[in-house]
Amino acid sequence: MSEIAKDLHTEHMVINMGPSHPVTHGTVKFLVTLDGETIEDLKVEIGYLHRGFEKMCESGTWYQVFPYTDRLNYVSPLINNVGYALAVEKLIGIDVPERCKYVRVIACELSRIADHMTNVAAGGLELGAFTAFLYFVEARELVWDLIEMLCGARVTTNYVRIGGLKNDLPDGFKQKTLEVFKRCRVLWSDVNKLLTKNRVFIDRVRDVGTMPAEEAIAYGFTGPCLRACGVPYDVRKANPYLVYDRMDFEVPIGETGDNFDKYLVRMEEINQSMRIVEQALEQLPGGPINVDMPYYRWQSKDDIYNRIDSLIFHFKTVIEGIKPPPGEVYLAVESGNGELGFYLVSDGSGKPYKCRVRPPCFPLTAAMPRMMKGRLIADIVPTFDMINMIGGECDR
Amino acid sequence: MTQFDGKGSQVTVGVPAGRLKPKRVRRNLDLTLWEKLYVFEIIRGMYVTTKHFALNMLGFVLPPRGKKRSVFTVYYPDEKVVLPPAYRGRPVLVMRPDGTERCVACGLCETACPGHAISIVGAERENGERYPLSYVLDMTRCVYCGFCEEVCPKEAIVMSSEYQGLAETDRSRMRYSKEQLLRSEESVKGRIEYIRRIYSKCNY
Ligand code: SF4
Ligand code: SF4
Repeated sequence: MSEIAKDLHTEHMVINMGPSHPVTHGTVKFLVTLDGETIEDLKVEIGYLHRGFEKMCESGTWYQVFPYTDRLNYVSPLINNVGYALAVEKLIGIDVPERCKYVRVIACELSRIADHMTNVAAGGLELGAFTAFLYFVEARELVWDLIEMLCGARVTTNYVRIGGLKNDLPDGFKQKTLEVFKRCRVLWSDVNKLLTKNRVFIDRVRDVGTMPAEEAIAYGFTGPCLRACGVPYDVRKANPYLVYDRMDFEVPIGETGDNFDKYLVRMEEINQSMRIVEQALEQLPGGPINVDMPYYRWQSKDDIYNRIDSLIFHFKTVIEGIKPPPGEVYLAVESGNGELGFYLVSDGSGKPYKCRVRPPCFPLTAAMPRMMKGRLIADIVPTFDMINMIGGECDR
Repeated sequence: MTQFDGKGSQVTVGVPAGRLKPKRVRRNLDLTLWEKLYVFEIIRGMYVTTKHFALNMLGFVLPPRGKKRSVFTVYYPDEKVVLPPAYRGRPVLVMRPDGTERCVACGLCETACPGHAISIVGAERENGERYPLSYVLDMTRCVYCGFCEEVCPKEAIVMSSEYQGLAETDRSRMRYSKEQLLRSEESVKGRIEYIRRIYSKCNY
């Protein structure tokens, strides 16, 4: 066979996948060089969803950045809100009240559940498991209902504020959460039954997209993809923020970093996140949810209506913005995809001088050519899904 | 710091071993012959999906409690979801019983709006009261963040629960004027009570 092929005139084929291809979750383009069905070379072109996030932040006040952060990783917006708020609080040096920390943890973990569910569901869908998609989207819908109850929107949450939260937990939230989790667990086990031991699924994902641990670290992997390589690194454990050090949860790790490991890690993390929410709801203390620092908080409406000095101060804080002291901070939180970092520079004025985001999926996307070289073109589908590149966050 | 040992499969990142509870996932599931044969696995999968189908079907045909169907899907134009009080829909202006608007054209919402969706021209009545001569809300720019409601010192703009008709085929029709945005106090009463509750005290 190879004898015959030698004399044939063949050449590599270059095809475009994307920018709007069902597989490319956001808008991203692959330039694939193919030899038959084998990938010789792959180039990822990002930037189709670039909207100048960092520049927009510089032209708004510190408060006005919150709605923008919703649109970073739009599957888990609450984590972005919390990450930005924590970074600004570190810059100012605020320690938020206990109750606020717990509510933030609950919000973060609900978002993480929704994020992983979407990811696994879409992964199943792309490999033809439409049923698993429907079950997890039902579960995600229930979780999003909780988030809607909490902050008034499913995706554009805008819930966290500097030094506190927009509002407290609504009435009956705990009971509703426990009910939702009961249903989520049923759906989780159904998806688990349908996918985990499914030979078709395993054949498509096992040993595809493997990554040795050293190389993963060298690329800058974080989050579920790094843990799938067998590196037990989780920002929530390595550098606990909020009250994660009081929660009892395990960090699932894989071995080879292939797509099956990533899938299993994500499935296990859904469970662990549900455990964290339950513990946080159990331990939830009473007390205030906002810091008592009127200089950094928008005034309460009671004061605005009744006191002229508060009203004047309210005008001042809204129009000029709050003014953190000059300085720079970096703070990372564990988002759905890994380490989401905010690097903020303040020059003491009412607007951020610089608001840089470390998107967790940028290094993951950068490793796509390394993972795909020499594989079949059909392997792009599960690998790119399990990387979970989110355009809003990667391109900003 | 990160260290690698010889084999490279075990990597230590600076986390005390006691604090981190790693849990290895079971990736090398050995499929039994039974599972490899596939036919029985198909039957097992069919069992899972059929169970869902049957429960949905029963919930659809025989509504158990009252009249409400117990299926997950909402049959939209006939049924509507129950929105929580926190829901943020189209921002609307609140009208006093005498037909004038509560807004005093202070311009705070215009400043706080991250999407620059609001533009106000203020004016003064004969009795010295300020009011917005024109109040334009460009719904192509609004991001439904709720900041306008949060900063307004007069409870004059609130996020209603309207979600119908937010999209249009023509952008020029999405610039709403003051007259189109005014709603009577009764219709947004629930929301006003809600924002009074959540924003009334910073430290409740
Ligand atoms: S909801 Fe937000 S974007 Fe929309 S008008 Fe109000 S402040 Fe502007
Ligand atoms: S903040 Fe309220 S009172 Fe001021 S201009 Fe806006 S709607 Fe009118």
